[in-house]
Amino acid sequence: MSTSSLTERYVDEVVRRLPAAQRDDIGEELRTTIADTVEAREAADPQSAEREVLTEMGDPVRYAARYTGRPLALIGPDLYPAYIRLLVLLLSSVLPVITTVSVLVELADSGDVGAAVGEGVTTVLTLGAQMIAVLTVVFALVDRLRSRDGAPARSAAWTLADLPEPRKKDKVGIMDALGAAWYALLISLTVWQHVAKPYGADGHGGGKAVEVLDPALWSGWIWPVLLGLAAMLALSAARITVRGWTVRLAVLNAVAQAVFALPFAWILQHRMLFNPEFLKTAGTDALTQEVYSGLAVIVLVLGASAVVTGFRSARR
Amino acid sequence: MVCVAHYGVFVSVEELTLAQAHELRRGTVVLACLALLREPSYGYALLETLNGAGVSVDGNTLYPLLRRLEKQGLLTSEWNTDESRPRKFYRVSPDGSLVLAGLVREWQDLSATIARLTKENG
Repeated sequence: MSTSSLTERYVDEVVRRLPAAQRDDIGEELRTTIADTVEAREAADPQSAEREVLTEMGDPVRYAARYTGRPLALIGPDLYPAYIRLLVLLLSSVLPVITTVSVLVELADSGDVGAAVGEGVTTVLTLGAQMIAVLTVVFALVDRLRSRDGAPARSAAWTLADLPEPRKKDKVGIMDALGAAWYALLISLTVWQHVAKPYGADGHGGGKAVEVLDPALWSGWIWPVLLGLAAMLALSAARITVRGWTVRLAVLNAVAQAVFALPFAWILQHRMLFNPEFLKTAGTDALTQEVYSGLAVIVLVLGASAVVTGFRSARR
Repeated sequence: MVCVAHYGVFVSVEELTLAQAHELRRGTVVLACLALLREPSYGYALLETLNGAGVSVDGNTLYPLLRRLEKQGLLTSEWNTDESRPRKFYRVSPDGSLVLAGLVREWQDLSATIARLTKENG
């Protein structure tokens, strides 16, 4: 590799990102400047000096951006608050509403609970992904179009009306109490359906009683799931007593979430959750592999977000 | 060494001072450039002069800055092909001189203000 080709390649990499009218001028100046800098090092080996100089100048993409003022972020600081606000609004209100409607419609249509759950999962995943993707693309485009003009226009101005209501201290306690009740319910239901075998396999109540969940789980995967649930139950109780999060609780929460969510997602993904006999007689064929995978992804995402929430709350 | 807790990471006071001083100096590069370019000069020579005078600045920052000032009409430029390499020489425009005068006034005001503030609280 000849010495000159390194500089040439660097200059090319910079100028091809500049407006065509400026390329020759900036390229010529850059070449001279690099040559001046290399010469001033008075190195015995000019080739290694050139390498040094170019390395110090850094990424050509970054360097070109300094000339054009083009943003190096997908969505810049001007638009970021509006982007996050809109994203949270869409995902926390519009998405649940549409999902609920589509689940109800499917339920009224077919009367099949499995199909309705499948519809809900599909809606959350596809519509949620579309919302995120479209919003991101639109904001990124707007950011680029604006910064070309030079003058950064104010995004939707913030007013006092945007201030959220103060968070109530008691809310933490109520949410944790609800959480604890939910985990206790899940544990009880799991154990109850194992002991009581509530489902009549022939559909007339008189036949063989079977479990809803796969009995094979009890010789393996159900234990970490139950252990994780029990740990989360204990942690909810602990948060109620200490009135909030601590770093230690957040760490324990992360462990508990992992102990619960990873095996549970694995069970879902490999279709090991439900008793085959139960599925045969319940007559739901809507629980396809896609629905199971979707549920597994949702379990993992919810677990991860619970871990993040724990750490962020503990930091405050 | 004195250390300060900074978002849970310990940073020495020396490092913090250096970082803050860097922020302070950053705004002075334009002023220094306009002052120096009352005499025409080219990129690398200007960089050397600035660094020699204690205004530490990267080429990565300086060369695009010169272009920006030229675009704003504060500098004019001319290619000089007399020497071994063609060099782009910059110098302040009449507008640039006016901005320079304004910045110098601003600098003196700031300096006086800071002197007063530090005296009162000292």
